[in-house]
Amino acid sequence: MTKLMRATRLRRGVIAVAAAGLALSSVVLSTAASASIKLPSSGVEKPSSGTVTETGSTLLYPLFNLWVGGYNETYPNVTVQTAGTGSGTGISDAENGTIDIGASDAYLAPSVTAASPDLKNIPLAISSQMVAYNIPGVLSHLKLTGKVLSAIYQGTITKWNASQIASLNPGVTLPSIPIVTLHRSDSSGDTFLFTSFLSKTDPSGWGAKIAYNTTVPWPAAPGALGETGNSGMVTGCKATPGCIAYVGISYLTQALQAGLGYASLQNAKGQYEVPTAASIAAEAASFVKKTPANGTISLIYGPASGGYPIVNYEYAIVSTHQSSSATAKGIRSLLEWSISPKHGAATSYLAQVNFQPLPSKVEAQSVKQILSIS
Amino acid sequence: MTSVGGVAGDVPATPPGRPAPRESPFRRVADMFRANEEKGWRWSARVAVLLPLVALVFAITVLAIKAWPAIRVNGWYFLYGKNWTYGHSYGATVHTNGVAHAAGAQFGAWPLILGTLQSSFIAIVVAVPLSIGAAFALTERMPSWVSRPLGFAIEILAGIPSVVIGLWGLLTFGPWLAKHIYPTLASIASDLPNVWPFNYFRQPVGTGEGLLTAGLVLGMMIIPIIASTTRELFVQVPSLPKEGGEALGMTHWEVANRITLPWVRSGIIGGTVLGLGRALGETIAVVLVGGASLHIAPNIYQPFGTIAATILSQLDGAQADGTGFAVATLAELALVLAVISVGVNLAARFIITRTGRTGGPVGTGA
Amino acid sequence: MTTNTSLAPGPSTRRRRVSSIGFRVFTYGSLILIIAPAAWILLGVLFRALPHWRWSVLWTPLTAAGGGLRDQIIGTLLLMLGVLILAGTIGVLAGIHLSEMAKLKKNGKPSGGLLRTGSDILSGFPSIVLGYVGYAALVLYFHWGFSYLAAVIVLSVMVVPYIAKTTENSLRQVPTAYREGAEALGMSMGYSLRKVVLKTALPGIVTGVLLALAIAGGETAPLIYTANFANTVPHSLTHASFPYLTYVVFSFYDSSQVQYHYLAYDAALILVVMVLILLVATRVIVARTQRHAEGARTRTRSPRKPPKPGPDEAVDLVDLPLPR
Repeated sequence: MTKLMRATRLRRGVIAVAAAGLALSSVVLSTAASASIKLPSSGVEKPSSGTVTETGSTLLYPLFNLWVGGYNETYPNVTVQTAGTGSGTGISDAENGTIDIGASDAYLAPSVTAASPDLKNIPLAISSQMVAYNIPGVLSHLKLTGKVLSAIYQGTITKWNASQIASLNPGVTLPSIPIVTLHRSDSSGDTFLFTSFLSKTDPSGWGAKIAYNTTVPWPAAPGALGETGNSGMVTGCKATPGCIAYVGISYLTQALQAGLGYASLQNAKGQYEVPTAASIAAEAASFVKKTPANGTISLIYGPASGGYPIVNYEYAIVSTHQSSSATAKGIRSLLEWSISPKHGAATSYLAQVNFQPLPSKVEAQSVKQILSIS
Repeated sequence: MTSVGGVAGDVPATPPGRPAPRESPFRRVADMFRANEEKGWRWSARVAVLLPLVALVFAITVLAIKAWPAIRVNGWYFLYGKNWTYGHSYGATVHTNGVAHAAGAQFGAWPLILGTLQSSFIAIVVAVPLSIGAAFALTERMPSWVSRPLGFAIEILAGIPSVVIGLWGLLTFGPWLAKHIYPTLASIASDLPNVWPFNYFRQPVGTGEGLLTAGLVLGMMIIPIIASTTRELFVQVPSLPKEGGEALGMTHWEVANRITLPWVRSGIIGGTVLGLGRALGETIAVVLVGGASLHIAPNIYQPFGTIAATILSQLDGAQADGTGFAVATLAELALVLAVISVGVNLAARFIITRTGRTGGPVGTGA
Repeated sequence: MTTNTSLAPGPSTRRRRVSSIGFRVFTYGSLILIIAPAAWILLGVLFRALPHWRWSVLWTPLTAAGGGLRDQIIGTLLLMLGVLILAGTIGVLAGIHLSEMAKLKKNGKPSGGLLRTGSDILSGFPSIVLGYVGYAALVLYFHWGFSYLAAVIVLSVMVVPYIAKTTENSLRQVPTAYREGAEALGMSMGYSLRKVVLKTALPGIVTGVLLALAIAGGETAPLIYTANFANTVPHSLTHASFPYLTYVVFSFYDSSQVQYHYLAYDAALILVVMVLILLVATRVIVARTQRHAEGARTRTRSPRKPPKPGPDEAVDLVDLPLPR
């Protein structure tokens, strides 16, 4: 070998070793950096200035706006943009990276987690859904079962005084007006919850034919209307006598102001429950042990006694792989604040939308998921 | 006194007896600019005029690429099928023809295609007679203090954003129609025989969000387009044949029917097709006023769906399907709409060039 | 037709009279049927927006509890500005090509048929399809995210054919005498284009551009997927959602907060006012330039009467007022 060849080979070797060393050290440093994300004692990290964008579930939207107001009191240097566009939009925008936090009532589908393994659904709070109706003269809570609702939405029960409804509600005078079913035309977590309930209570009918999803092929019930957003469901139901609609619990005040009533649904134990703090908490408690670390579980139609059957975790859909560490810190800070029992999960916020705080075990799991965002 | 050389008009001629002006360096740069200016204009204009064509080709290519997986799986069923299901995206993923999609996903877009054609048909049926009639009224001998504000009012209608018209249709016009007009129509229809098209107008009357309301709102949106093109055409009809007709004793109607209209027939077709193109692609107004249904409207007052409205309202949710198949299907839907729009446009140009530019003179039977 | 030899009106005359009156009724009736809904829409917007109108809506930013529409107005204006720069340049240049530079084919008709066809097809292309293509290509594939740039590009693609057509039409209306005169005087093509032809056609071009801005400012569907929506105007051209007015009208009208309903009506009113301003501006431009144009009536009284011919003089045809 000539001297030149030896020198070249030596130089190349040195460069290679140096590059490898740099790469290795950067990997070590970055993992060390991410592994070293620890919660400060206050429970919330301090963010640098910037913008955090959120979009998605209209069920979570009112609460998220309250959270942003409270969060900005302590950390005014972070601008948070929110929007209520439907859980499907929240999931897809988080998937595309066009939004930082996607809010969704529905957990991620297996196809989505397969396509985007970085995407996590992090439970933030426990919410619920009610079945509202606009029946002139009926102000009490009608008793309804999942099977009856399935028949209504399939168009087999068309009038309010049908025998199936009347037999469940013996003391109530039901008018003979036609039932107008309202459904969400946008991709909605509320649709996911409602159709999950129908699928679980009517597995051979609704479950086999239509199943559950954020968008489903609604059967052609007579006069069925599509509305956008939970607020659209409330205003649409208010304008349509005889309507029945599934509305998130955060719109309870609006629904009552609009003159709508809401049903007490039959749970798995055969009891009829209205969505109250107690019934929602009872239902959620029965699922705490079964909730996996990634938060993916349905809380619908659980075995709890005294539990309201349509209950769910509200998820923040976030990618663990953010473009900048400043953005990641801002997201983490906001989410930590939101689930901290001293701040976002305090009753002062949740009670305004009739939500329940996460059980401590689930909260710990969520914190762990939040800390993995970088 | 001519200037030296062939270039430009602002080099002053030197009168005899005065020394020639000094050649300044700025003059040389200016000469260079001037010499190349024409080339600059030509080339930039050439690039600019190619851009719409490039954009069109780019758009159709992007659509074809994104829609290809869906085309392979949906096949012809897409054009005649009536079911639009995303399938069980929380269940297993299956593969058909090598394309992954959710189990049970089936996309038949016939109700949407039919809805698009129905609403545009209603819009054209409403808009064309009204526009032609109004154009006649505006070109009559009207005092200018009447015709100018009216023309301005039509221009305003053209400029109002479609979202404002849609919101008005949803909050004001639709409910008014459902309360006052539709019940009358339904009662008239119930006296007529129970066959198509009369049974289409029977009860239930609904809440005003539906096919007929959307068709009327679309018609209102395309009236300014058709009316202004028709009015410009009427103005161009030479007055001599019209006045000759009146001198012969023809009534206004006969002059209009036998002289003016044949003269401008292909121009009216062109204007109508412009309006039709707008109606086919109108999205926001239909989303607000048409209800959001993926089924064929059971009668003319009920909610329905068009292709454009469905793309707008379903695109977000479609991306929640991790296999990407739902998005590909929406791209296929967009491709179908693009093909319909381009086809309608080309067909109209064909008709216009066949029947001549603005119709022949009176008597040629054109 | 039966020959009617008597002087009394016969059946065919009655028919013709009825059809003529019917025609009159139909034309004026259609005019009313068109104007009435237009007025209804404008009045409807006014009556919904005025009761809750506050002038502070114009300079207060949008907040979660209500607020104003300051950034949305600025956003719409900025989008119009971007479309003016991008589509204005491209459209006017394209119109110049189609009218001035297209070589004549052998049969004397101007060439450029394919380009004109492409432009016409693009002008009729559904806006949501262009919005989707912009979303798939610019927002996702180029990774610009929801951004001002993507929105301006998609809007410009939509209005370029319209500007090109109006530019071509106004350029064609410039008399060839002007161009021939400029050439005879030795002006270069670029010079005559700038100083003579474009200057004459400028009112028509400006009208076309202003109308295109009105169209672009009123679009919603393509903007939803390219600019999304924001509360405040961002500081970057990409990776930041952009605010604009039409989304407010589209999605705030049935919001859970009543304050947002009022903002939706206010946004509708502001949009209508913007369109009105643009339309009035086009009228003013056309009127002012017509005042100085050839053959314009600058005096409102009738023109000077020609001298009366004497008893034996023949009327000189030159002195008669020329027909306009």
